[in-house]
Amino acid sequence: MRLLAFDLKLLVIGLGGGLLAGTLGVGGGILMVPLLVLWAAYGQREAHAMSLGAIIPISIAGIATFGVAGQVHYWDAVGLAAGSIFGAAIGAHLLIRIDERLLRIIFGVFLCAVAVLLGVRA
Amino acid sequence: MSGPGLYVALVAFGVLAGVASGLLGVGGGTLIVPFLVLAVGLTQHGAEATSLLVILPTAIAGSLTLRRRGVGDLGVALRFGLVGALGAFGGAKLALALPASTLKIVFAVFVGLVGLRLAWDGFRSTRE
Repeated sequence: MRLLAFDLKLLVIGLGGGLLAGTLGVGGGILMVPLLVLWAAYGQREAHAMSLGAIIPISIAGIATFGVAGQVHYWDAVGLAAGSIFGAAIGAHLLIRIDERLLRIIFGVFLCAVAVLLGVRA
Repeated sequence: MSGPGLYVALVAFGVLAGVASGLLGVGGGTLIVPFLVLAVGLTQHGAEATSLLVILPTAIAGSLTLRRRGVGDLGVALRFGLVGALGAFGGAKLALALPASTLKIVFAVFVGLVGLRLAWDGFRSTRE
């Protein structure tokens, strides 16, 4: 199997995305998609697909590592995932109709507020 | 929160996080982790671990949809992801070695940076 027959850029992007995902419990797409587009010269759609597919083994490795340490709350995840799969389909359809720019600003400001709140609680 | 109310809140918030990730490509773990910490009361480590288990089925569903539409190559993406899995193992080990308060601050900085970038992208494209 030509598992590592990639160029160095993909190796670095994959490792970086995985490291971020494992450390912070996020998908890693926030790092991988821009790097795939700007550095590895992928198109936006292909980068999105590449990142989403990569998140499958990445999240499995993270879940296994945290799971061994007894940190995974399985039933909470089931509830969230049930809503999330449904919501992702709605989001993809809404994408055609919505003013994405305003949404980015509102969501961006909201996340900054969340960051401050988390910082205060830490 | 506990009992049936908790499950209604979890599913409802899952929908919200799913919509945000479908629309913006951001919002999976970035929203789910703070929700689990601030509203459900999990520890930072527990929230991150649980978030990954929410992301996995969502990524599988999204990948299958893209594959049906012929976007990208799932086989290549999965192999690329195997390299990422090594990073994720290291990252999770790192997270487990950090105290919860440190990890929470690192996560808060990350969420703040994502927020600033989104707002910046929004402002920039509004002016064009």
